[in-house]
Amino acid sequence: MAHHIEGSRNSCALHGALQVIEAIEGVVPVIHSTAGCGVQHFLGVNRLNAGSDRFGGPPVSNSNISEKHVVFGGSSRLREQLKNTVKIVEGDLYVIVTGCSTEMVGDDIPAMTKEGRDQDFQVIYANTPGFRGDVHQGYQLAVKALIEQLPALGKGEQSSVEGLVNIWGIVPHQDPFWAGNLEEIGRLLEGIGLKPNLLFGYDQGLSSWNRVPNAALNIVVSVWGDSPAMLLEERYGTPVLKLEGLPVGSAAGRFLQTVSDRLNLDLTHTENFIKSEEKRLNTYLASLADTYYRAGFQREFAFVGESSQVAGLSEFLTGTLGLIPRTLIITDNPPEYAREALLSRLTGLVEGYSTEVVFSEDHAEIIDQVRSGAAELVLGSALEEQVALALGVPFLQLSFPLSDKVVLSRGYSGYRGAAALLEDLGSAILSN
Amino acid sequence: MSEKHGKHIAIYGKGGIGKSTTTSNISAALAEAGYKVIQIGCDPKSDSTTILRGGNDLPTVLDTLREQSKVKIEDVSAVGFGGVLCIEAGGPVPGVGCAGRGINAAVELLQELNLFEEYKPDFVLYDVLGDVVCGGFAVPIRDGIADRAFVVTSSDFMAIFAANNLFKAINKYAPSGGARLGGVIANSIQAPYAKSLIDDFTQQTGTSVVGYVPRSFTVAQSELFGQTVIEAAPKSEQADVYRNLARFIDEHQDSVIPHPLNGPELKKWARTWGDRIFEVETGVVQKMESI
Ligand SMILES: Nc1ncnc2c1ncn2[C@@H]1O[C@H](COP(=O)(O)OP(=O)(O)O)[C@@H](O)[C@H]1O
Ligand code: SF4
Ligand SMILES: [Mg+2]
Repeated sequence: MAHHIEGSRNSCALHGALQVIEAIEGVVPVIHSTAGCGVQHFLGVNRLNAGSDRFGGPPVSNSNISEKHVVFGGSSRLREQLKNTVKIVEGDLYVIVTGCSTEMVGDDIPAMTKEGRDQDFQVIYANTPGFRGDVHQGYQLAVKALIEQLPALGKGEQSSVEGLVNIWGIVPHQDPFWAGNLEEIGRLLEGIGLKPNLLFGYDQGLSSWNRVPNAALNIVVSVWGDSPAMLLEERYGTPVLKLEGLPVGSAAGRFLQTVSDRLNLDLTHTENFIKSEEKRLNTYLASLADTYYRAGFQREFAFVGESSQVAGLSEFLTGTLGLIPRTLIITDNPPEYAREALLSRLTGLVEGYSTEVVFSEDHAEIIDQVRSGAAELVLGSALEEQVALALGVPFLQLSFPLSDKVVLSRGYSGYRGAAALLEDLGSAILSN
Repeated sequence: MSEKHGKHIAIYGKGGIGKSTTTSNISAALAEAGYKVIQIGCDPKSDSTTILRGGNDLPTVLDTLREQSKVKIEDVSAVGFGGVLCIEAGGPVPGVGCAGRGINAAVELLQELNLFEEYKPDFVLYDVLGDVVCGGFAVPIRDGIADRAFVVTSSDFMAIFAANNLFKAINKYAPSGGARLGGVIANSIQAPYAKSLIDDFTQQTGTSVVGYVPRSFTVAQSELFGQTVIEAAPKSEQADVYRNLARFIDEHQDSVIPHPLNGPELKKWARTWGDRIFEVETGVVQKMESI
């Protein structure tokens, strides 16, 4: 049924695709759409991110089409824009991404891409009009374009890399801690002797993407990684490992164990690595004990965020830290097939306690839920600040959009992320 | 819009059905009767006013808009037979761009240029591609641009289908101030059953035929001279047919909101006519009047 959405935190597919492209080193986006599409990405996404990318502002290349191009077609404008972009912005790869207007008109993007390639430009395209879906859809469309079109550029590395694993499902910027989360997952995989292919962030360029087909395993951190993993399974027969959320604390240990099993790694080595990580985290947990009781950490909490974040962090907060999940609100609209599993897992996080689990991206509904849940701690985005203030309870911003912190390499995944979460949560409680 | 200048009439119909021929002859007849007329072709084919202008070239509004940022009415209009001001909206190369938005942009530009305030026409005729494929082609009957729409149809099913689609569009927009239907112009009447078939269709849809235009050699001949029948054969019977149509449009203001048939209804209706025509052709039914 149609319903209206107030203050959505999910931007459009074009923006999701831009977030993908901007997070890969040496890859340059070329928007083919109206000017507002690029500006909106800056105002609605980059500026709310406290930390932006190389092209993460108004300087992103855009064909800025006008009525003339709608009536007569905008292909020639795109041709010109691509040529100029290649001249002005150095890059290993240019990705044309389209917005609503040019897709409605039906500009022939594959033909323009081919023309660019005939001139030896390294160029691919993704059809990403906002009407195809939201930011998560954009992530999938851009990743699909890269997987499908990069091999045609003939730069793929054929030599296989022993123990290579790809990580999918972390949407850059939609998860504000994407870089840190990826780095930590990478560190852990390295710890058990694997070669993580993070694909986004520091030192992740085309060579990482060209290695994708050679991986021994595709690890899917959120439901948004399903489609790339399925595509790769179809094309290259790569097996898939799906996680139930971001692995935080001891869940990271279980995750490493599973990967070890699947890839027949040296189990003793894995167990020793997990042991040392556990030991380190337990030391920090012990140091927190005093404050934990004094400040009363054990509270009922409300959590507003994306499915993999809510699932992963809530498990750590309840299982390890003893907090109680009052209201969990999932904002990324996971597909129907994923909802049931999420529901049964999250409602039963604490035995004998019923947790309210809500799927919504409507700000008004979210606020109502948080308010009526009357939790003693609110975890969410900048959009939940007011209701936390009204409830007079501690508040921690950790989902998109953020307004009160700069995030560079911080993350909440793995063991280090668990410690970071303890620090941030503690600070929020103490400063209330 | 401020005070409206002249009667604005949109003429729709399937491609190739005779819209431009009919519209141009109506324009010519109205001009002959002393009225000031503007005819605007709203079809990417851009040949609406050809026979009013002796076949001379006329840059379209959209082509001009593409080349120069500032467009003047003089750049995109020509004075044709009887002083009819001829304008072609134009459109993109087939298969590229959005013709619907093009019609929209062209009509908007003409309004911005105060065409109607300055020219003060008695009649403005819009000759519109009639399959109403998308919102853009419905512009002349939306937004209070035209007051009345007429549809040109033959007895071919595809022409009737297009007319029915136009009825759907009118039905949708009329309640919120869009144009209403002035009536149906039956063109190229030749087959013995054509009149009855079109009459029946109008009856089914709560509309009426405002004129029957026979298929005529004079039309083809005049077209070859690059002229309307009014100009090339003013004394012909066909010229009088167009004069009567023009007089009807001038003298009658009534209009209706049609009741289009839905998909299955239209198909069923067509099938009954298929049977009846078959019976006539095979001689089962002897007298034409029986259908
Ligand atoms: N009543 C008629 N008798 C003979 N020929 C006709 C008649 N009406 C239209 N035509 C011819 O049919 C062809 C298509 O007509 P035109 O007015 O250009 O159609 P449209 O504008 O609907 O596409 C033209 O060659 C025209 O001369
Ligand atoms: S929804 Fe469409 S028009 Fe809006 S910013 Fe996204 S691509 Fe552009
Ligand atoms: Mg025509």
